[in-house]
Amino acid sequence: MSGAPAAAAADDAPSQPETVATQNPVIETRALSKVYRDFWGRQKVRALKALDLEVYPGEVFGLLGPNGSGKSTTIKLLLGLLFPSDGQALVFGKQATDVSKNERIGYLPEESYLYKFLNAEETLDFYGRLFDLPADVRRQRIDELLKLVGIERARKRQLREYSKGMTRRIGLAQALINDPDLILLDEPTSGLDPIGTREMKDMILQLKSQGKTVVMCSHLLADVQDVCDRIAILHQGELKELGRVDSLLTVADVTQIRARNLSEDCRNELRDVIQRHGGELLELDNPTTTLEELFLSIVRDSEVRPGRRVVGAHHHAGGDPGPDDSGAS
Amino acid sequence: MVVEKQVLPFFEWLWQGQGDSFIDGALFQFLVLAAVLFVLGLVGGFLVSMIRHGPVAAGEITYRTLRGGATDLTRLSARRIGALAGLAIKESLRRRVLVALVVFALVLLFASWYLRTDNPEPARLYLSFVMTATTYLLLLMALLLAAFSLPGDIKSRTIYTVATKPVRSGDIVLGRMLGFSAIGAVLLAIMAVASWFFVTGSLAHTHSVDATTLEPITGIDGQPIGSGGATSFDAFHRHTFTVGVDGKGVTDAALGHIHTVDADDDRYTVGPAEGFIRARVPKYGSLGFINRDNARTGRGISVGAEWGYRSYIPGATPAAAIWTFDGVNRSVLREGADGGLYLPIGLIVRVYRSYIGQIEEGIQGSIQLRNPETDVATSLKIFTAQDATVDTFDFANEQTDTQQDEITILDDLISSDGRIEVVVQCLDRAQYFGFAQADCFLRLPEGSPLWNFVKGYLAIGMQMVIVVAVAVTASTFLNGPIAMVATVSFILLGFFRETFVKIATGQNYGGGPVESLVRLVTQMNVMSPFKSQDPNSFDAIDLMKAADEALKAGMQAFSYVLPDFSTYLGRVRYVAEGYSIPTDALVRDLVVCAVYVLGAAVIGYFFLRTRELAK
Repeated sequence: MSGAPAAAAADDAPSQPETVATQNPVIETRALSKVYRDFWGRQKVRALKALDLEVYPGEVFGLLGPNGSGKSTTIKLLLGLLFPSDGQALVFGKQATDVSKNERIGYLPEESYLYKFLNAEETLDFYGRLFDLPADVRRQRIDELLKLVGIERARKRQLREYSKGMTRRIGLAQALINDPDLILLDEPTSGLDPIGTREMKDMILQLKSQGKTVVMCSHLLADVQDVCDRIAILHQGELKELGRVDSLLTVADVTQIRARNLSEDCRNELRDVIQRHGGELLELDNPTTTLEELFLSIVRDSEVRPGRRVVGAHHHAGGDPGPDDSGAS
Repeated sequence: MVVEKQVLPFFEWLWQGQGDSFIDGALFQFLVLAAVLFVLGLVGGFLVSMIRHGPVAAGEITYRTLRGGATDLTRLSARRIGALAGLAIKESLRRRVLVALVVFALVLLFASWYLRTDNPEPARLYLSFVMTATTYLLLLMALLLAAFSLPGDIKSRTIYTVATKPVRSGDIVLGRMLGFSAIGAVLLAIMAVASWFFVTGSLAHTHSVDATTLEPITGIDGQPIGSGGATSFDAFHRHTFTVGVDGKGVTDAALGHIHTVDADDDRYTVGPAEGFIRARVPKYGSLGFINRDNARTGRGISVGAEWGYRSYIPGATPAAAIWTFDGVNRSVLREGADGGLYLPIGLIVRVYRSYIGQIEEGIQGSIQLRNPETDVATSLKIFTAQDATVDTFDFANEQTDTQQDEITILDDLISSDGRIEVVVQCLDRAQYFGFAQADCFLRLPEGSPLWNFVKGYLAIGMQMVIVVAVAVTASTFLNGPIAMVATVSFILLGFFRETFVKIATGQNYGGGPVESLVRLVTQMNVMSPFKSQDPNSFDAIDLMKAADEALKAGMQAFSYVLPDFSTYLGRVRYVAEGYSIPTDALVRDLVVCAVYVLGAAVIGYFFLRTRELAK
């Protein structure tokens, strides 16, 4: 199963739903809405409609949705780059428009919006100074981070010469310069090659194992499936689905048996047992569905019946979304 | 000359201005203005958020913004501002700001083709040229850098990575202002050094002595007291000179400078040009006139321009211009080379000829010193007036009065309360001398020309800082080109502030904006009345007049925040004309500049803070 590292990490991380529910959420949105207006105040588009979300410490939370679904808007609202039209966005219990919350936040934007005329070292030093870090701390962090993201050899090169992948890496490094507790990643794997993607995902899991909260938005479903504990699926500004990835993806009426070194007799016996109990044997090795299928079915459903929250309408057991939704794995 | 408006002492300007009480003082005016702007901002912000969110939410938003602003003020960080300033500098360098230096170098190169040293005051020509070139180049550069920086960041979204750090809007605004001002200051310093060497280099010349003109000079008793002669004709002029028996001498002034001459037996060496660039420190008195009927008047007569700055006295009549100087004492007198005391006086005469006469010869005038209490006066000293040049007189302490009795300036000519009068008359019949108050002054010890030059460049730097501050603030709520246009309008209005205020207060001919537009389009004379046909009914003209009144009120209100750039240009003229910029003026300009930066930063802070950066 490709999600094995994620599942393994989830097991020993402090994000078990039972413990989570008692903690204060890192991010809390209450009926968060955003309406884009033109110069004259006329409504152009409702980018986000009454979003209620809670993200707890130590979670890797994924925001999913097609282009224009409100993922980026949500992230920007959480960062205070946009102001809510209605409702509230709280980060660490503070209003999202309060700049002081940024002390504990790291943000990797969709494309690395960095100053191209700075080199890697200058970039990290600049952002370190924005966090008011003293010079010796900055120097130490810069060395650590350049090593972590693997661009030590290009530290003196201007960012304009960087490839897309390297830009992504320096972007991640600048997001981590303040050793943040909450990391917001906007399309973290976009533009990365498979190896880079793998490394980025491992980095996210590493951050999680350090007890950090990660919120990422992506439309690359495999990435989300691999690293996220919980996901929210947005479509046309509405929350469509919210829950633990493992429970959302479990196919409830199918049992998967995985075993090694079964003899032909044993398999026949298994078939007999299943037949005797009135079961229907589909396959001896039946996998879970992919996130991609779930995602697409939700989008399709939403287009047929707009405005309706898709809950439990599918062939899965994730009908009770929320932080205390404890699905079996 | 330059000092048509006297510079008030700094604290007088701050506390009471030109009026009697603190209400006219700059500080009080500033406080009123700040309070008005604060209330306007508060009401404006509330109204805008009320339209968007309704009155209750608007109240809360306004309160939160205000409280946030107050707490953010305490959280400004020098390190963050430093980082953002450094970024602004790097951005400027990346945008090839150093090209401005290349342009400046080219300007100087071309200038050396066209500027010539045969001007009567070559130093003025050169200085005003380099300083004007520096001003325009620097202001343009500051404008382009500052107006496009923040909009560029917002457009390229690099602001996302900055605004998501614990950066206060104030850090962003102040950091940019600081960074661009710093890079501007560096450029200004380079331009100043280049200008100094360009001017001194261009003016530098020397002469040789024309041996055929050399003549020994003997005293009344036949004793040789030295020699005299003329220099060679170089750089469009020659000097005459005298050398004492000790072999030391100076040339007469020509084109605003002198040379030293050293004689060693038969070898005469002419030194480099001296006194091109001056920093005169004038002490001004008050001017009164006596008319041809020997009666005291406030003004002389007009020779055509009724409201001209200068008024005139006719020649060969009792008419005189009388300056009274206060606070004259021993310290004002200067010690001459021979150890005697002198009262140094500078006088600028505008000559008005009712007939041409001998144009080369100049018009004869007389000058004398007088005690305002006892009317004891020195004998007349006759001089030849050249139009619009600074004549200098050194009155020795020992004088003879009109009765040829021995008197001294210190004992007999200064009144008990420290006043002395300078009386100037024109001697040629039917010719006129024109004077204004600033035309006669006591020459206090001159300041350092180099320091004065630096002060002039500081004034340019202050203009640049104001432009940066205004442009950065404009760019917090406007996009690049619009911010630039807004700033340019602000600067242009600042240059013509006086006219702007005149229009706003209705002192000009032609009425307000609407009325003058109609006059322009209909080719209507500015003097013909702008009145409706029927005074009893309300028609288009009444409507236009009402619109004008509203516009004029708005203009008048706006004029309170408009910087007076002409004062800064005036400072440059001080340097070009060879007058020391008073310290009071420098301090005052600095304070005004600082207040603009502060005000612009506060306004910029609130605009940036209440703006959605991710739109």
